[in-house]
Amino acid sequence: MSQQRVRGSTRGNEGAILSVENLRTAFFTDKETIYAVDGASFDLQKGETIGIVGESGSGKSVTARSIMGLIESPGRVLDGSSIKYRNADAVERLAEEFSGEVTYRDGNGEPEGDGCIVLDEGAEGAAGGRGYIDLAHAPKKIVKRTRGGEIAMIFQDPLSSLNPVYTVGNQIKETLNLHRDLSGTNATDEAAELLEAVGIPDARMALNEYPHQFSGGQRQRVVIAMALACDPEVLICDEPTTALDVTIQAQILDLLDDIQDERDLAIVFITHDMGVISEISDRVNVMYAGEIVETAPAETLFLDPAHPYTRGLLESIPGRNPDAERLTTIEGDVPTPNQPATQCRFAPRCPEEFDACTQVHPESVESSDGATDHTVACLLYPEDRSREDAVSLHERRGRDGDETDDEPTRTEAQR
Amino acid sequence: MTMSQKLTQEDEGIGSRIRSNPRPALIWVVGALALLALEFGAIVQLVTSTVPGVGAIELPTLLTRELIPNQGYQLPNGSWQGTFLGLSPAIAWLLRVVLVYAYAFVWVAWVWYGYLTFRRNYRFADWTPTDDRIDRLRGHRWGQFGFIVVFAFVMFAMFAPALGPTTLQGNIIDPYSNDVSYYDEEVGEVATVTVGTANLASQSRGNPDQNYGLWSYDPYDRFHPAGTISNGKDMFTFLVFGARISLFIAMSATLIAGGIAFVLAMVTAYYKGLADLVTVVASDAFSSIPLVLLLIMLSVVLRNTWIASLYNGAVILVLIFGLFFWPGYWRTVRGPAFQTVENEWIDAAKSYGQSPLTLMRKHIAPYVIGYLLIYASLGLGGIIISTSALSYLGLGITAPTPEWGRLVALGQAYVPTVSWHISIIPGLAIVLVVTGFNALGDGIRDAIDPESEGSTEGGTAAAGGGG
Repeated sequence: MSQQRVRGSTRGNEGAILSVENLRTAFFTDKETIYAVDGASFDLQKGETIGIVGESGSGKSVTARSIMGLIESPGRVLDGSSIKYRNADAVERLAEEFSGEVTYRDGNGEPEGDGCIVLDEGAEGAAGGRGYIDLAHAPKKIVKRTRGGEIAMIFQDPLSSLNPVYTVGNQIKETLNLHRDLSGTNATDEAAELLEAVGIPDARMALNEYPHQFSGGQRQRVVIAMALACDPEVLICDEPTTALDVTIQAQILDLLDDIQDERDLAIVFITHDMGVISEISDRVNVMYAGEIVETAPAETLFLDPAHPYTRGLLESIPGRNPDAERLTTIEGDVPTPNQPATQCRFAPRCPEEFDACTQVHPESVESSDGATDHTVACLLYPEDRSREDAVSLHERRGRDGDETDDEPTRTEAQR
Repeated sequence: MTMSQKLTQEDEGIGSRIRSNPRPALIWVVGALALLALEFGAIVQLVTSTVPGVGAIELPTLLTRELIPNQGYQLPNGSWQGTFLGLSPAIAWLLRVVLVYAYAFVWVAWVWYGYLTFRRNYRFADWTPTDDRIDRLRGHRWGQFGFIVVFAFVMFAMFAPALGPTTLQGNIIDPYSNDVSYYDEEVGEVATVTVGTANLASQSRGNPDQNYGLWSYDPYDRFHPAGTISNGKDMFTFLVFGARISLFIAMSATLIAGGIAFVLAMVTAYYKGLADLVTVVASDAFSSIPLVLLLIMLSVVLRNTWIASLYNGAVILVLIFGLFFWPGYWRTVRGPAFQTVENEWIDAAKSYGQSPLTLMRKHIAPYVIGYLLIYASLGLGGIIISTSALSYLGLGITAPTPEWGRLVALGQAYVPTVSWHISIIPGLAIVLVVTGFNALGDGIRDAIDPESEGSTEGGTAAAGGGG
């Protein structure tokens, strides 16, 4: 029953500005192949913030880099992945410019050719925005055109993402020049305005200072200003607050919130900090060893975590269990996903592991029947089914997924 | 501090800053123009003489042999005719040399003063990373020694016509078409003789009767600051023009090799993978060819072709050195380049859509060019030695064009005799210049990369990549 609805809901994600579907990114080294991201799917609506949370090495940053097209050899985004970007303006503009890459959709909504810009038949000029660019398949020149102006990224360490030999103003102006064709005094004015917008005092003066002359929090503000200089639709923040102390973290989160309200930005927020994620995200994806193991609205996730891993993460937040003598931790490390998953990757560390966990790969299912906005990849769920029932549902989904490789199973919650 | 704060409010670039406070800039520009005017003719001549086919353009210049002549003859009463103010040729020549070097060092001081003026009055930032580098170089005695030696050598080559006690054309290339006046004591009057004939009487042949060593006059009253060589030609003139050709070869070859290495370093660091692999293989192929053997072979094979006669064989040497020195430079800067590319600001620049070319130029090149400067400086010495070694073997630069290595070869037989200067002086000069270039390279390295101080070099930090 839910199977049907899952299939049907594929069409429902047309409203999302960015849909990541079955993203698989692998690194091919001489020794082994590492599936750093293994089948991640999520949707991002305009004006929404989604969080991606997980331990170090769970594939969060690789997900972000895959979206930006920054995966370098020996890494590669595997076939079958898709990253659909649906900003009508950009689709239209790029469709005009790269007409050779345009493919139209047939009646079933499937693209007829293998071009990376997919438009609806009849929707002339894609005016209705009924089309998308698949960044996972797009040639470099198209991906490059979406960088910055469409999707911008903020990196973890604000000091190292600014070039130390140029003044802050120089670097912001470089971006402005690239994306808004501003130069000279106009660019200087705009750069000062941007710095003011991100809350840097004495912005004119600050333009002529070097990155090392700023404090950590100010640097991150500068980096945000640089990202805003591109005027993006989607902002990917890769642990933007990790290098900052707590009070500054809060300020930066507030800043991002304000900017989002002002500009209707869609934000993908990546962090390992559960506290930060609770504050900023509307919906949270929990990542483990390259897979998204749980997706839920932030509130649901914190009140009613389903996956044992999510529960472990929440328990290890200091202060959540004030009576505990020692901080609760999850034993062990994130395994290196160097083989396609055939079992639950969390099983070795899972307190609730049972026999089937090492034999069946859990697929994303509703946490309980009907809970469409809360999905879990764990054999214990859906929780209102018997264990055997649940396991067989996962098995079935797994087989279906293999057969229709490039159509991932999607649920309501992943939008 | 207050200066820059005040300027902040209405900053519109350096032009407006100069307009608002033009005095220091004007002082500097006027001084620089005055300095330039003194020797403008010499610079024009230097430039035009290196461009083939144009020929040297002569303009009136201060500090020339015409203004301070050192060529004259001594009358029996001991007074000198034809020299500057009747001074002895040694003094007149020395005066000219001192003036030339004083002029050169005044220029250095003026440029330094200009930089300080800019820093004090016009630069917007209170501090830039360059300040630290210069400060480190200021406390670096070994590097300063290198700078002075290199600078003196470059001036030696640049002002060659003014520094030599006699001219290249008159004394070395075409001695039988030029005359020298002297006072013939037997006849009791002034007579002239061709330079070639005079040179026969001023040979340094290794026996006390026939040797004109350092700081000596020959029978025709010509002054030889560094003595004469075995065929009687003036060695100092030989040395200054030899420096010219050495410097030309070393600089041009380094420019070519460094240029190739730089472009390849950018491309391989940015694209990695296949581009890197191909370059590694190509550089290995080039490095596996024994350069000296190849040079000897090509010198012989190309001996009578048109390309070998360009600038007396210098051009072909430049091309060979340029083509075979890049693998070394490229390997040393590949590491730093790869390291730079790993920085997050590169990804950040990529993530907002910067084009590869701008990315290389703006975000990678500044970090690589410093290393290239170090190795270029070290490599210059190597090229000078190689050129000299070829001349020593009788290859490379063709006679009669002066080349230091040929002097070493010429004087080899006289080393244990009174004419030791023919070999020893140019030999020591080569050692000094090469040491100077190395010292300068060390200085630059310590200035731009203080962390590498004491370690062998910065190129070992090759970040692994590609695959």
